[in-house]
Amino acid sequence: MTDLIFIILSLSAILSALYMVWVREPIISALSFIVTLLSLAGLFALLSASFIFLVQIIVYAGAIITLLLLIIMFLNIDDESLPKEPKKLLYMVLSAILVAPLDMALIKAVGTLPKKDMSIISNFGSVKSLGLTLFNGWLLPFELVSILLIVSLIGAIVFAKRKI
Amino acid sequence: MMSIYSVLIVAIALFSIGIVGVISRKNIFIVYMSLELMLNAVNLMFVAFSRYFHSLDGQIISMMVIALSAAEAALFLSLVVLLYKRKGSLNVDIFNSLAQKRDNL
Repeated sequence: MTDLIFIILSLSAILSALYMVWVREPIISALSFIVTLLSLAGLFALLSASFIFLVQIIVYAGAIITLLLLIIMFLNIDDESLPKEPKKLLYMVLSAILVAPLDMALIKAVGTLPKKDMSIISNFGSVKSLGLTLFNGWLLPFELVSILLIVSLIGAIVFAKRKI
Repeated sequence: MMSIYSVLIVAIALFSIGIVGVISRKNIFIVYMSLELMLNAVNLMFVAFSRYFHSLDGQIISMMVIALSAAEAALFLSLVVLLYKRKGSLNVDIFNSLAQKRDNL
């Protein structure tokens, strides 16, 4: 059963990611990217990372892509201001050839890992254990991330001012 | 069936699709979404290795990556709005203001 869910989720993630890269209109691409993100959230749940599953759905699919969709609709792009890409297929094939050696090296490296049981464990990745790990070992990066978020907020406000 | 091997294959495939999108597309939104796809593939790798090694540090790092990409989204999208107002296009090839002199803006 888990294998079936895994295969369905990975296929939908990869196919919708391919469609996202392929399609011309940005709004259809963003909607297809939401499908990828939700399938990835399901994969996180299968890997017994329940809190990351929630964060992925709420922050990624809920906030970031919604912000992106809002900006796309706000700019009200007509068909002429979309860039013309007559050689899109050629570029995609060439870049796929370019990344193929990297993929081969990575797959070869992954194949040397010893096998282990990856089935779902109930207590691993719960909110409590994740919070304990976060505030015991990762306190400084956590605070730095909050500073980063404030800096990016200030930066976005400065960019949105009329004259810079 | 669902071993670390198959999960990492999925992550590698998503990462390569992201690289292909960044290299081959000209629409700035699709380039941005390909970048996000690459970050997500790395997140999947972190979570898979966290499960594999039974340590929660990988999940913490992937939370950090999600927070970082939220910050990146705010900055990137405000920058895109600014550039679209000035240039009137979404083509990444004309967003080369840093390579030009000031009076060309």
